Amino acid sequence: MSEDVSEFDGGTPEYCTYTDYEAGNTPDGLPATGDGATGVEAAVWERLYEVEDPEMPISAVDLGLIYGVTVEGSHATVTMTLTYTGCPARDYLREDVRRAAESADGVDTADVELVWSPEWNVEMVTDDGKADLREFGVSV
Amino acid sequence: MVDGPEELSDRERAAVEAELRTLADDEFVVAERYTEWQVRGPTLEADIAIANIAQDELGHARLWYDLLEDFGYDQVDLIWERDPADFRHATLVELPFEDGDWADCVVRGYLYDTHEHLRLQALEDSAYAPIADRVGKVKGEETYHREHTQNWLERLAESRAGRERIQRAVDRLFPHALTLFERTDHEETIVDTDVRPEPLADLRAEWREVVSGFLAGLGVDVPVEDAAELLPDSRGRDGTHTEAWRSLYDEFTFTYRQLGRSEAPSLMPAPEEADVDV
Repeated sequence: MSEDVSEFDGGTPEYCTYTDYEAGNTPDGLPATGDGATGVEAAVWERLYEVEDPEMPISAVDLGLIYGVTVEGSHATVTMTLTYTGCPARDYLREDVRRAAESADGVDTADVELVWSPEWNVEMVTDDGKADLREFGVSV
Repeated sequence: MVDGPEELSDRERAAVEAELRTLADDEFVVAERYTEWQVRGPTLEADIAIANIAQDELGHARLWYDLLEDFGYDQVDLIWERDPADFRHATLVELPFEDGDWADCVVRGYLYDTHEHLRLQALEDSAYAPIADRVGKVKGEETYHREHTQNWLERLAESRAGRERIQRAVDRLFPHALTLFERTDHEETIVDTDVRPEPLADLRAEWREVVSGFLAGLGVDVPVEDAAELLPDSRGRDGTHTEAWRSLYDEFTFTYRQLGRSEAPSLMPAPEEADVDV
């Protein structure tokens, strides 16, 4: 072994400082909350508020994951994103959202379109959502 | 801008598919290899970081495979029952790690992630909107991968023994890293139709400049010969692979075959079969 190895001994350890959560900007129109929605679309939003994130006690809407709801006839389309690409709850959450939309009065069928742009960031959490997260112990 | 598969000519479709397959296969296979380190890193932090990076790369693979599904394939076609000779990942990501050599993992990550960053930058301007729309998200998640590998390289290079390990890993891996920039049969169409406006040859030149500069700063020598002189016999992008690929493929498809699967099962029952109120 070389003499250089001793450089690792006795020094002050440096810890990883990567705890910086970038806030980011809020794209126009987001977070979408269903504010101003009417009729069947409003009914869908109401049901979507009941879908909870699998990891934290916050609704998918308050977390800012839902980008839009449209209803044509009795078919609802929900556009949503996920917080990160490797989300292990992707199918689970997507199916919960689809079923919630389908359970709204006036909706017979629903599908969910997953989009990755604009990118989700923590600024898309609604004020109610931030309160929920703080209560849960997450600092936002 | 092209919004989806239905707007593509046959030639364009082949180009988009070729680009997506190299992207998806690289990410999937590099993640398969990373998982070998996730309980064997030098520190618990390293275990967690590498596990997390592997998860990200799998997430990115899923994003690119999703777009191939838009062309009518399913996950079984794309992964579990695909002929191993049809995978188009670079040989860099399939190589086994040198036994117990953390520097191998770190150098490989550095060479790969630097390439991925440049490639994603080029794809931000993709004329195929579904690709361009996903790049921002993926790129955002890649930043700390590069910070992680650079940080480890700097620490390893502080000692002579560490620097020597980096050097051996660079000597071994650099030729294989060059296969990341090998062309598929569709490279000309990919560039002409702006699926990826920047040719691989330009990306390779940029990449060589970046990695050579950084590694030289750590006291590590980087090959300077032309790519043609350095490239390994197997190029990955043309379907030729190293011996390591077959066993890795057998390993990650083992459970699928063992269970006699013919489909990738969903963990949730179909809605009509489920007795669950939302």
